[in-house]
Amino acid sequence: MTVSQRPKAPAKAKYSLRDTLMSYAFLAPALILLALFTFYPLAYGSYLGFTEYGGARFGQGLPPKWIGLDNFRTLIADPLFLKSMVNSVKYLIIVPVLQLASLAVAVLVNKNLPGMAFFRAAYYVPVVTSISLAAVMWDWIYNKDGTLNWILTNAHLIAKDSTFGWLNNELTAFWAVMLVTFWRGFGYYMVLYLAGLQGIPEELEEAAVLDGANAWKRFWSITVPLMKPTILLCSLLSTIAALRVLEEVLVLTNGGPLNSTYTALMYVYSKAFQGFNFDYGLASAAGLVVAAVALLLSIINFRVFRDDTGGGK
Amino acid sequence: MKTKTAARLLTLGLSLALGTAAAQSPVEVQFWTWYLSPKFDGYIKDTITAFEKANPNITVKWFDKQDTMVQDFISSVNMGSAPDVVNLNIDETSKAAQNSFLKPVDTLTPMSTLKSVYYPQTLANFTIGGKVYGYPWYGSLNEGVLLYNPDLMAKAGVKAPRNMTELLSMVKTIKDKTGAYAWVPALKDPGGASFLGYFFSDGLPIYDASGKAAFNGAAHVALLQKYVDLFKGGYFPEDALRKEAFQLATELYAQNKVAMIVGGPQALNRIKDTNPSLYAKTVVTTAPLGKAQVQTGTSMGLVIPNASKHPAEAAKLAAFFTNNANQIAFAKIVPIVPTTAAAKNDAYFKKVSTDPIAKATSLVGASGQYINPGFKAPGNSDDLYKNFSDNIEAALLGKKTPKAALDDSVTYWNANMKK
Repeated sequence: MTVSQRPKAPAKAKYSLRDTLMSYAFLAPALILLALFTFYPLAYGSYLGFTEYGGARFGQGLPPKWIGLDNFRTLIADPLFLKSMVNSVKYLIIVPVLQLASLAVAVLVNKNLPGMAFFRAAYYVPVVTSISLAAVMWDWIYNKDGTLNWILTNAHLIAKDSTFGWLNNELTAFWAVMLVTFWRGFGYYMVLYLAGLQGIPEELEEAAVLDGANAWKRFWSITVPLMKPTILLCSLLSTIAALRVLEEVLVLTNGGPLNSTYTALMYVYSKAFQGFNFDYGLASAAGLVVAAVALLLSIINFRVFRDDTGGGK
Repeated sequence: MKTKTAARLLTLGLSLALGTAAAQSPVEVQFWTWYLSPKFDGYIKDTITAFEKANPNITVKWFDKQDTMVQDFISSVNMGSAPDVVNLNIDETSKAAQNSFLKPVDTLTPMSTLKSVYYPQTLANFTIGGKVYGYPWYGSLNEGVLLYNPDLMAKAGVKAPRNMTELLSMVKTIKDKTGAYAWVPALKDPGGASFLGYFFSDGLPIYDASGKAAFNGAAHVALLQKYVDLFKGGYFPEDALRKEAFQLATELYAQNKVAMIVGGPQALNRIKDTNPSLYAKTVVTTAPLGKAQVQTGTSMGLVIPNASKHPAEAAKLAAFFTNNANQIAFAKIVPIVPTTAAAKNDAYFKKVSTDPIAKATSLVGASGQYINPGFKAPGNSDDLYKNFSDNIEAALLGKKTPKAALDDSVTYWNANMKK
């Protein structure tokens, strides 16, 4: 269907006052909850980014003190914050890899073959595995005497006396943690893609087969265009998740070695919630910087994966 | 006149009645402990019951907090529902007091009483700016005792070290001859600056007379260099940079991968659970000490938040939980070190036993007077400790020389330390 063949949008429906009121009444509870738990914290957090709040002020019950851009100046001057931002942006490398892999596997498990339900469930298991359990397991894998080194030494890829702890090495820790993020996120995006794939009308595929299109051609001409909204959603979610990565880092490396895995959210967390020297003002300012980067990347995502087919309109 | 007198008498009578009623009106005290449930539920509940029996107008509502303790405390103060008695360690008490969260307990319990119950040093541990901010509770010693695997020691041909110099000198021998690590030192602590403890143990200063950081002298550098050389040679586990030393040591000891543990008897509880046969043959003896010949250690305290609505009742509860009888009762369940002065004469710690836990308990149980972290937490300690630990890590991983690492850290501390 070309753009010119698109059916005309239906004339604007007229709603009665009762219908209108009813609609808003149904929306109101969700809106109130959003206002309380999302919009208000967002607005207040943004305000705190420009204040001094925490430490002794908090203990004495004093309100936040407006200090303008001072927190942002502190952030720029703090090498740990800059390093954490660089690490977080570097962490975005995972996004395309994660998306491609989960889309590819979603295509594979979308087949109606015997036992496919098992594979769909198996790939989803890491998503529901607790991070503490995952940490113990990956610690066994990455340890100096762990599974990964055992495999590599038995495959003669590294010498027995050259083994090292993958999470203890400045050059490998970052990638090792990223692999855990990949492992944890993969099943989640695969399920989203699977849902998207199952929403593609079978007739289109059948018509393409009759027209003699091979599998690759069908994938690029039918699947990918119709999956654009799902790709955009997954890409957005994984971009934001990559910028907000915290749990894996905390439990596996605590930001080390040499702060090579210290991420921006870890900086925010440590300033806001560790010890009694908490600095909500500085943490909020750092959070605002992360949010600004996330917003920028979201705009890029929208531009790249814009749904040109009209399906999303 | 008669009417006036009658009215006055009536007013007085009413006031007295109301006053008595107010004094006897039930008060609920909220009590927060830290990581004590479910293992010690029985002990805590029994002690609360005994307290409520002795103080019929006070009821205690107990909550055991775990990893979110500090956040929960801060939030509760903000929400106007602060607890009345909170279990914090020395470092956290110091931070909380510096940030005006706590009430000095010497305003609630006379100083003379505090001095008569607790060892002077354990009381000093909770003294910040000349005021006492916590009732000292159960403690532990960093050096404590030495536990060792006699088979690994025999294989290496070494005997139990008598001091830290001997211990460091046998690290290579044990690893080379047995393949097991001799010992896991506390190199990096996520919430603190554990390596500073080695300086203190060797009698090296952390601060100078004016209170400025001064841990970069030649002797400090030489000591760090020793550890760096051993770490680079593979004589300490790599994971010691990532994991808490005590946790790693007990894990590896139970797998016959570490020959010795220097620390509190609590390590034995875990070994007993994970490797009973190794526990049975584990030898317990006195801990090797540094050149200063001092034990170091830490303790928990019970603090009263400024925001507590019932500080007087809270003080009663805190004093009750930390009194000698209740700390000794606790020591009988788990090998803690009581912080009360009377504990050193208690018959319980003079018992002779061959069981490792009982032996370790009797060796350290009466040593509460040695509980001393060695140095006061500086203001802004979260940032300063992180900087120190990062520099120690950089030295161990060869990114900085030990001298540069200590110099950099001292410079940072002196520029960022808040009084």
